[in-house]
Amino acid sequence: MTDISENTATRPKADFLHRFSMRDAGTLIGLIVILAVFGALVPGFFAERNLINILQQSSINACLALGMTLVIISGGIDLSVGPTAALSAVISASMLVAGVPFPLAIASGFAIGLACGLLNGVLVAHVGLQPFIVTLGTLSTYRALALIYTGGNPVLGLPAGFRSIFNGSLFGLPLAVVIVAVVALVAWIILKKTPFGEYLLAVGGNEEAAYIAGVPIARTKIAAYMISGLLAALAAQILIGRLGAAEPILGNLWELDAIAAAAIGGASLMGGKGSVVGTILGAVILGAMRNGLTLMNVQSFYQLLATGLIILAAMLIDRVTRGRG
Amino acid sequence: MSPRLQFAGISKLFPAVRALDDVSFSVGAGEIHGLLGENGAGKSTLLRILSGVYRPTVGSVLIDGQPVTLTNPVAARAAGVAMIHQELQQVPRLSVAQNMFLGHPLTRGGIFVARGEQERRAAEALAALDPSIDPAAPLGSLKVAQRQIVEIARALLDRARIVAMDEPTSSLTPSEFERLAEVIVGLARDGVAVVYVSHKLDEVFGICKRATIMRDGAVVDSVDLAQVSEKSVVAMMVGRELAQEQHRSHATGDVRLSVRGLASATKVHGVSLNLNRGEVLGIAGLVGSGRTELLRLLAGVDRASSGTIEIDGKAVRFSSPRDAIAAGIGLVPEERKREGIVPLRSITSNMALASMGVFAPRGVIDHRRLKRVAAEKMKRVNLRPFLLDRPIRLFSGGNQQKAIIGRWLAAGTRILLFDEPTRGIDVGAKAEIYHLIEELAAEGHSVVIVSSELPEVIRLADRVLVMRDGTIAAELDRASLSEQAIAAHAIPRTQMQAGKTGPQARQ
Repeated sequence: MTDISENTATRPKADFLHRFSMRDAGTLIGLIVILAVFGALVPGFFAERNLINILQQSSINACLALGMTLVIISGGIDLSVGPTAALSAVISASMLVAGVPFPLAIASGFAIGLACGLLNGVLVAHVGLQPFIVTLGTLSTYRALALIYTGGNPVLGLPAGFRSIFNGSLFGLPLAVVIVAVVALVAWIILKKTPFGEYLLAVGGNEEAAYIAGVPIARTKIAAYMISGLLAALAAQILIGRLGAAEPILGNLWELDAIAAAAIGGASLMGGKGSVVGTILGAVILGAMRNGLTLMNVQSFYQLLATGLIILAAMLIDRVTRGRG
Repeated sequence: MSPRLQFAGISKLFPAVRALDDVSFSVGAGEIHGLLGENGAGKSTLLRILSGVYRPTVGSVLIDGQPVTLTNPVAARAAGVAMIHQELQQVPRLSVAQNMFLGHPLTRGGIFVARGEQERRAAEALAALDPSIDPAAPLGSLKVAQRQIVEIARALLDRARIVAMDEPTSSLTPSEFERLAEVIVGLARDGVAVVYVSHKLDEVFGICKRATIMRDGAVVDSVDLAQVSEKSVVAMMVGRELAQEQHRSHATGDVRLSVRGLASATKVHGVSLNLNRGEVLGIAGLVGSGRTELLRLLAGVDRASSGTIEIDGKAVRFSSPRDAIAAGIGLVPEERKREGIVPLRSITSNMALASMGVFAPRGVIDHRRLKRVAAEKMKRVNLRPFLLDRPIRLFSGGNQQKAIIGRWLAAGTRILLFDEPTRGIDVGAKAEIYHLIEELAAEGHSVVIVSSELPEVIRLADRVLVMRDGTIAAELDRASLSEQAIAAHAIPRTQMQAGKTGPQARQ
């Protein structure tokens, strides 16, 4: 049993290269390869405007994926992010259309996101239901609520003032990109520098041991789902700001892209493992690939194929480089 | 006549490591051969070669004088080798018979599983070992000892000529061990060669005639156990003499923990005890007597249904381990992998888990301080190798245990509860853990030790409580402490009678 560990124990070299940063380096290499390939194939791919485009197109998925990463690290999953975003979007939008002040409308959208996450978290942590099933249920529930609330119709005609908030730019970057960058920084600090981050990794890594060591299990899990809900709401605000309208079917299949970005970035669906840097790189990989394929006029069917293959390739490389688990 | 099993000059090289170095010894038909050594000595690697998981770099395995190539586990099984693992590889939800035919079921026409036939044959194989086991019962409903017997029955079905057992008794009670020992002796009588790996020397001395001792991947010696003492075997395993240590008490007169009428819904029925400052209190008793459950109540892991707990004269009430930790109590659990460590995280993270508030007074972890404290505490417990950023799963059991102890030292815990403190830990690290516990007591910590190993309890405890059926059956002070005294109080009357009339497995 212990022979394997004893063997690796005699290899001090591996200790200087931290497992996580090594994994992140791998994701970065993947991104560089993809950028190089498209750079060679697509003229103008490396133009500043296109690179900014890629970041902007990746920003919504990155935002969701950051929340998803925290949930996955805690040993859970959040399938309900798309409908959470939709519910948040239609509520904020209808308030904006009714003339409610922007801050209040946006705050209400965030509150919806937090509430959706709270319900997920309570069902998982206190009732003890399986995260996959809980969020599968709330995926339908939240979507239905958004559809019922709007009667299935989009909320149109958002005030120009609101739209300009999210469509502005800062330091030459679209505001959406800046916002998500700040969120990523905060998520990184949470994971690396706060007790909550340690608790997430411990709860996902070994819940029983974490409990005996005094980790507040329920609080930690609920917080992860609430953050995921909040970030879904933030993504919703960014999107309706860009579109000027909120559709109740907004965010369809967002959860899959978010999970993909987290997984490409090294998060393990078994829990206890994941990286903020990796997730951001994962989201940019997906964004760059779609951007490149679109510029190459590749049919969307093939884009879907490429997405699938990227995920599988990332997992295979993960498996091979990690050796025996 | 050539021996049933012979290892001839086996070496196994891994990248950067020589796991086995020219290992040669043989086991005759009908012999129960002990294989001894500390963790990392190469026993597991050798067993993996025998069971076809690894191939030797140099050397060969001979069965009945014929060299065999064991390229994979299926080939090993075909050659007549059966492995019985420490952690049983069974599927609890399937029936006993289904488990015995797992991977190669009996079929009708190659399509339908012949359940009836499987159960009939399973019953035949079980009849000789333990007829009380129902082949149709779900395996999960059996006790661990019975599951071991199912594994052995499976080996019989495969007509195994060689049975290798890796720590088969690590979770068995003494009476269950007696039963298993009978079965093993019976196997040997039928001509099977048994390789028996165990940390428990008394068991090896009890059922094996000869044993091979390994250290650092090489054979130290193969000995006739009738000719050597346990002490000299330990010296061979560790490579030095382990001093026979005397018990020293550091107990004071101040009561730190006072428990009255503590009960849980199921296993603990009204336990009262006092624990003093600097005292080491041993809790003995059979598995299932409520020892572990009592510790879990004291550590806030499970909730008490009635009773009171006072610490330094102040009543406390625990609804989670957090409360107990805040009151200065920490549990070092029995199942380290499941309840102790977060495997992917570093030693430092594992240590800090219980005292995050201390390391992050303003919400952000002070990593400089965390590193300093981790270095200090891990030096204190003598972590080896001293690599604080390395994931804890890569450390040996003994060093994982040290890190868990360090966790409570960092949290300022004053009452340490140990459940089987040295389970799965090899002899050298065991002595270190003992020293550590004594030093902690000398510094004024109060310690409770639950252990199935009576020598361990006697070595460490200032006072022993014997539990039986969820209550304290007896309190023994140093003067009246002996293995016999503990056993007399631990075993329910009826079982003791049965034990006396039952056949003796240990000769």
